[in-house]
Amino acid sequence: MRRQVDVIRASAWLGWQIDANWADPFTFLVFSIAKPLATSLILYFMVRIVSPASATGDTFLFLFLGNTFFLYVTEVLIGISWTVFRDREDYETLKYIYLAPMPLRSYLFGRGLSKMATATLGVVVALLFGRFVLHLSIGTASTPWGLVLVAVLLGLVSVAWLGIILAGISLVVARHSINLNEGLSGVFYLLSGAVFPIEVLPRFAQRISLWLPFTYWLELLRRLIVGRSFSTTLRRLSDGELWGILALSTVAIAAVGWLWFRQCEHIARSRGLIDWKTNY
Amino acid sequence: MRLPEDWREQVRVNAGAVGARARVRIVASWREKSWIIGETVFPFLAMSAFILVYRGLHAPRLYEAFVVLGGAMIAYWNNVLWSMASQFFWEKEQGQLQLYLIAPVSRMSILLGMALGGMVMTTSRAIVILTGGVLLYHVPLPLDRALPALGLFLLTLAAVYSLGMILSSLFLLWGREAWYTATLFQEPIHLLSGFYFPVRALGAVTAGLASLLPITLGLDGIRQILYGKAAHGLLPLAIIPPLQVALLAIFLYLAHRSLALMENLGKREGRLTLRGG
Repeated sequence: MRRQVDVIRASAWLGWQIDANWADPFTFLVFSIAKPLATSLILYFMVRIVSPASATGDTFLFLFLGNTFFLYVTEVLIGISWTVFRDREDYETLKYIYLAPMPLRSYLFGRGLSKMATATLGVVVALLFGRFVLHLSIGTASTPWGLVLVAVLLGLVSVAWLGIILAGISLVVARHSINLNEGLSGVFYLLSGAVFPIEVLPRFAQRISLWLPFTYWLELLRRLIVGRSFSTTLRRLSDGELWGILALSTVAIAAVGWLWFRQCEHIARSRGLIDWKTNY
Repeated sequence: MRLPEDWREQVRVNAGAVGARARVRIVASWREKSWIIGETVFPFLAMSAFILVYRGLHAPRLYEAFVVLGGAMIAYWNNVLWSMASQFFWEKEQGQLQLYLIAPVSRMSILLGMALGGMVMTTSRAIVILTGGVLLYHVPLPLDRALPALGLFLLTLAAVYSLGMILSSLFLLWGREAWYTATLFQEPIHLLSGFYFPVRALGAVTAGLASLLPITLGLDGIRQILYGKAAHGLLPLAIIPPLQVALLAIFLYLAHRSLALMENLGKREGRLTLRGG
């Protein structure tokens, strides 16, 4: 266990160095918060041009929260699987990491941790921006911030294991895995109702949406922070049911991710794909 | 009147460089199938999300058309960022930049070839996005005004890619920061250019400054041509084409100067080859 923690800590530090050591802290901060702030403002102006009164109301607040917390999915999901691609194809170090006496999965979790840190920076700044610049009612005296934190962490475990599943695919797939990662992130953004209620989706897409853990995760976070439901479809579920679905889906994703990654690792080794180089 | 022999040779060699660089891009765009998916499906997904935002707000269908047009223009902006501005960074990473620098042609010819090839490559993607938007989301696209819109669109592309040439010279010296800067120029520019909403919503001062970007100016003008007053245009339509021509001339001049400056600086500081940064 102690060994696992050491591996995760060392690879998180490595990930942080790769992500952040090219710039001074201020420049890095600007780069980290530019994306979440820009997308929040895009949504703000979209709402404002249609209905100026809604720009500071609940309608925008729901979109804002969904978009802000979805940053974790984009950063961590793509970040973990992207590590396999970059280490294998660009830095050509994956084979050395594989030879080191540590599980590859723990190394990838560590790299994911550094992405979580970057994403957390973006999320916190975006929430503060929403609260103090856009004057959104984020956080009242009754907001259960402890539960919000638990919900965020539970969602992050789910995202990280999904990242491991994608990393497994990246191990056995050539350079095309980049597209797969970014494409899936786009699909989740669209189907989880991050920036619109899922009722707007066509019927078949709504059914897929209800199978995604992120749909419930974002709904739960919105309820905890705003105190109301965003989606009429999900309104019939109690908070307890949302917690239950989120916890069960996290366990299921973790179990599938563990087995899946082990299988992909086995295929990659047996086919000699660990030091594969397929990029241009 | 005939040009002197050495001039004609220069023109021939540089035209050859333009054609060769453009050809690489056009051929590559169809050879790597995963790129086609990456450059059509992903932007389409993002565009769909923003269309559904308007649908969730019960906005008039016209706003969805704004998003579709913006989505098509994003394809060009992404091409400028990742395949023009960052291209010399990629070439440096792959150890090919020095080959460009010792070739007996103008760097502008190489960039012009990249730009022309990039435009052809991206147009196929933009057509998919536009067609998908019209067929799947039934957004209104008045084809009777397509010709003047096409004229302004071509002028916009010329100015946008000339801006890409300037960025390319700036990115020439960078290592990993090139990657992050290109990322930084995505969503914030999507915001400032009004890809998903009329840029006028940003307010007169911010939108006026954002109109220094040719893609902002062009998109505003194209929406005005297609949808008239309902487009909530920022500047009078009549002044947009002359402004775009002025931006094109300024950017081409700046690109030429900047390329020479950055190349000399790069040589002096030894930053034109990869040091593992």
